[in-house]
Amino acid sequence: MDIIACIKRVPQTAEADVKIDSSGKDIVKDRLQFDMNESDTYALEEAILLKEKFSGSLTVISVGTFDAEDTLRIALAKGADNAIRIKAEDFGELDGYKTAQLLKAVIKDLKHDAIFTGCIATDDYYSQVGVTLAELLGMPHASLVTKIEIDGNTVHAYRELEGGLLEHLAMSLPALFTIQTGINEPRYASLIAIRRAAKKEIKVIGKEEINAEDIVSFSSLEKLFTPPVGERAEILSGTLDEIGTRVQGIVKEKGLL
Amino acid sequence: MAEIFALVEHRQGAVRDITYELLTCGRKLATAQNTKLTALVFASPADKIVESIQERADRIIVMEHGVFENFNAEIYQLALRDILEKEKPHVTLIGHTAFGYDLCPALGAEMGIPFATDCLDIEFTGSRLRVTRSVYDGKLDAHVLLKEHTSYLVTLRSGCFTPEEVSLATEVVKQESPVTEQPEYRKFVDYIEAAVGEVDITKADIIVSVGRGIKEQANLPVMEEFATAIGGVLSCSRPVVDAGWLPKDRQVGSSGKTVKPKLYIALGISGAFQHIVGMKGADTIIAVNKDPNAPIFNEADYGIVEDLFKVVPVLKEKILDAKKLKG
Amino acid sequence: MRGIININPEIRDAILESGGDDAIKCYSCGRCMAACPWNLIDDLDYTTYRFCQRIKLGAIVDSEAKEDIAADTDEVFRCIGCDSCRHECPRGVNLSDVLRAVRRILVDYDSYPAELKGVISRLYSSGNPLGESSAKRADWAKDLGIPHFDGTQEFVYFPCCLPAYDARLKLVAEATASLLTKAGISFGIIGEEEFCCGEAVRRVGAEKVFQSAVNNNTRVFQKFNVKNVITTSPHCFKTFQTDYPAFSDIQIMHVVQVLHQCLADGKLKPERPFKKKVVYHDPCTLGRQMGIYDQPRELLQSIPELNLVEVPVFNREFSVCCGAGAMGLWRDWPQDQRLVKIRTEQIFATGADVLCVACPYCLQMFEENFKSMNVDIEVMDISEILFSSLGQ
Ligand SMILES: Cc1cc2nc3c(=O)[nH]c(=O)nc-3n(C[C@H](O)[C@H](O)[C@H](O)COP(=O)(O)OP(=O)(O)OC[C@H]3O[C@@H](n4cnc5c(N)ncnc54)[C@H](O)[C@@H]3O)c2cc1C
Ligand code: SF4
Ligand code: SF4
Repeated sequence: MDIIACIKRVPQTAEADVKIDSSGKDIVKDRLQFDMNESDTYALEEAILLKEKFSGSLTVISVGTFDAEDTLRIALAKGADNAIRIKAEDFGELDGYKTAQLLKAVIKDLKHDAIFTGCIATDDYYSQVGVTLAELLGMPHASLVTKIEIDGNTVHAYRELEGGLLEHLAMSLPALFTIQTGINEPRYASLIAIRRAAKKEIKVIGKEEINAEDIVSFSSLEKLFTPPVGERAEILSGTLDEIGTRVQGIVKEKGLL
Repeated sequence: MAEIFALVEHRQGAVRDITYELLTCGRKLATAQNTKLTALVFASPADKIVESIQERADRIIVMEHGVFENFNAEIYQLALRDILEKEKPHVTLIGHTAFGYDLCPALGAEMGIPFATDCLDIEFTGSRLRVTRSVYDGKLDAHVLLKEHTSYLVTLRSGCFTPEEVSLATEVVKQESPVTEQPEYRKFVDYIEAAVGEVDITKADIIVSVGRGIKEQANLPVMEEFATAIGGVLSCSRPVVDAGWLPKDRQVGSSGKTVKPKLYIALGISGAFQHIVGMKGADTIIAVNKDPNAPIFNEADYGIVEDLFKVVPVLKEKILDAKKLKG
Repeated sequence: MRGIININPEIRDAILESGGDDAIKCYSCGRCMAACPWNLIDDLDYTTYRFCQRIKLGAIVDSEAKEDIAADTDEVFRCIGCDSCRHECPRGVNLSDVLRAVRRILVDYDSYPAELKGVISRLYSSGNPLGESSAKRADWAKDLGIPHFDGTQEFVYFPCCLPAYDARLKLVAEATASLLTKAGISFGIIGEEEFCCGEAVRRVGAEKVFQSAVNNNTRVFQKFNVKNVITTSPHCFKTFQTDYPAFSDIQIMHVVQVLHQCLADGKLKPERPFKKKVVYHDPCTLGRQMGIYDQPRELLQSIPELNLVEVPVFNREFSVCCGAGAMGLWRDWPQDQRLVKIRTEQIFATGADVLCVACPYCLQMFEENFKSMNVDIEVMDISEILFSSLGQ
């Protein structure tokens, strides 16, 4: 089985102090750790597990600048066979649609029985690249997948819906799956695989191979700004009933009913 | 003026809350653009669904067919394409839910219509659409401009618009479904309840978190009931896991999960730093602790200095009351 | 599946290159294993004596199987850097440094325990492991009238991260600053521009993040022309002395050294009795690693009516680690594998009313564990005990 996993290198902002840079369109990055996007690590693991089970090849692809090669190497160390970097620097501002087109331009020429992507990138939060890519490649997809079982020619994919419900789909390959966190336990790389990965060649594809003029975007970032924050630590006083009424109001105001 | 469309989301026969939010947002846009709001219902049976949204849109287009009984992105895509090609709406609003997520990007890519996903707000600036989105793990917001086009698709995050009651004169129009069967390559099979043990606290919007202050395991069911009643899930601090009262995957903190719900209610949790780092990203934190000096109050938005066993029943009742009023 | 050991010279070379050269000295005698506190835990065999041998063969974290890799990686990240083994090793092997070399490679490839990721990313971006804003770093001192260091004071007091932010540990910083003030020491704080010393991130192998801490503190200390530093944490104390090349001409003192000097000079006079049975726990970093055993004990003995007792056998260089080192403070081992429980049993057996510590990590570990084991012993930092014994 030939498998492809799309991964992205992102700044780890969940626990960090995030500041906007002077352009107003990007964040200050010099104090941020960069890692593989969280759900991509699960997508990669799912791809490796599938490859281990059915044998075949696993190619990882990332649209990114030179640094993304570190992330691709991590994927190689964990079990991918080949890695391709699409040079983000050649294509200007990227939105999800453009990223998907770049991936398509490369993947269309590769054999692929299954494609895995993360379900959301924690930097731009678009959650659209996987599904868009499937459409551009003309293949079926299932997003937010938390379980995959392969039974002969049928793939049972389980999608996570709101409120603790799973949607069970019967699909056929080739297909694309966007993977939700928690589906598996991403592995560590072994030192032996790390040494091997350090020496592997990463294929780099840029504007020489992909005609930038054919690639359009649907949106452009105007500006970043800090969302308004509320005050901290107001002690609610009064009778229990009054306190309860205040909480009721707070919950209502936040649209949490 | 081209219209604003909103896709009605339903599951297991009932309209999902996001639908009302989409209609509220849609009306805001329609008013601003001086145009009409149309709701799209793909369902089977459709009557109850149509009835639930009566008077909330100027027009309801209904496609009733067995294939729409359960959501399938592939089928919705075909049906929507059919309508969008005929009607050419200016903006089509879809929920940023597991359904919208699966549908919108594929539809936009297929039809070449610019789309924006997971939007908090949306407005016109001239003829272009500007959306507000949350980025970088929710630490920042972004304004994004969509490419100039006659039509747009937008998925809206839930909880960003408060549904409003209106009474519009609604015209109901029936249309034939262009699809009549599920495609071979992707068939809906069934819905499955996730096992109770599989509750993922990292994805919950409302979390009730209990600490050593709940005293004993026998008090857990009351807390669980409270959490369920207000539509949340139960999490805890480490001592509760150590005591074996809740499984490890419910632990919030440095050696547990990092959560960022919209509402985090901490009951009898002191606020050790290993706990705080796991929950300080929550939008709103309400802490109940009988010790006025508990460090958790440094992190909370609202503090209640009281015995949690007295507070919980009151909170539960009040929140349930509010829900009833609304429902 | 485990089989015959494979030899991988490349892995060996990579580890030696990243700082694990002590491995060569080891002759697998096994003394380290006997000394390692992890082996005080029933049913846990931390086979420390095998690490160096496996490194020399390049046969460490070398499996292809997911489960084996995970198990090996966990073992590499288990060591909390207490240096009990180093103290016993006839060949002078610094095992925690050797393991750090392995960790560096794994951390570069994102292959390390998930609990550590958040800590490292918070520390990198905000300068403290809690992810608190640096603007709030001097808040603990707000009401104490402590000046910002501007070169006119003799010392910089460096509270480090937890005492600057954590509600409980702030009390330690406060007591320390008040003591220094009482003793007439001229000092200021750096506050906002202070950055975590980075000792713990270095130990887990996040070298890049450690270097950013070094660069930051070096820049700030040079900017203010700092010459003398007092630290609350033995971890800052040690790492400033050993891992900050630019600090070679700065005098770094741990607070017990300064207080001891003040006592000798008659600047501190503990007068009020402290009528309690106190046991002193030697923090690994202050004791075994920096050789400071007597000064804290003498300080305690100077307090009227304080009854100082020792943990039998396991005191001074044989003190057992609380488990917080090398980011153990952020790790979660199963309940039956927590080092702090062993030490708690030992401390409980002394019948002491108060446990005295001289490290913020120890304080937090013990206080939290005493609560869960229902041990009714108060945990106090040495500065808190001293402060309470000063006359008006
Ligand atoms: C290495 C390590 C990792 C750790 N990781 C985590 C982690 O991931 N997550 C985590 O949570 N902790 C973690 N801890 C533990 C942490 O240090 C604290 O011990 C723990 O968070 C305390 O839990 P608590 O607040 O429930 O209990 P306590 O600190 O005992 O607090 C109980 C609180 O309940 C209040 N209370 C009692 N009765 C009532 C009542 N009737 N009404 C109202 N209030 C009441 C008390 O005033 C008190 O403030 C870790 C510790 C270590 C050493
Ligand atoms: S004590 Fe030293 S020489 Fe002996 S096995 Fe341990 S590291 Fe090797
Ligand atoms: S430093 Fe301490 S924990 Fe690490 S191997 Fe040596 S004795 Fe064990």
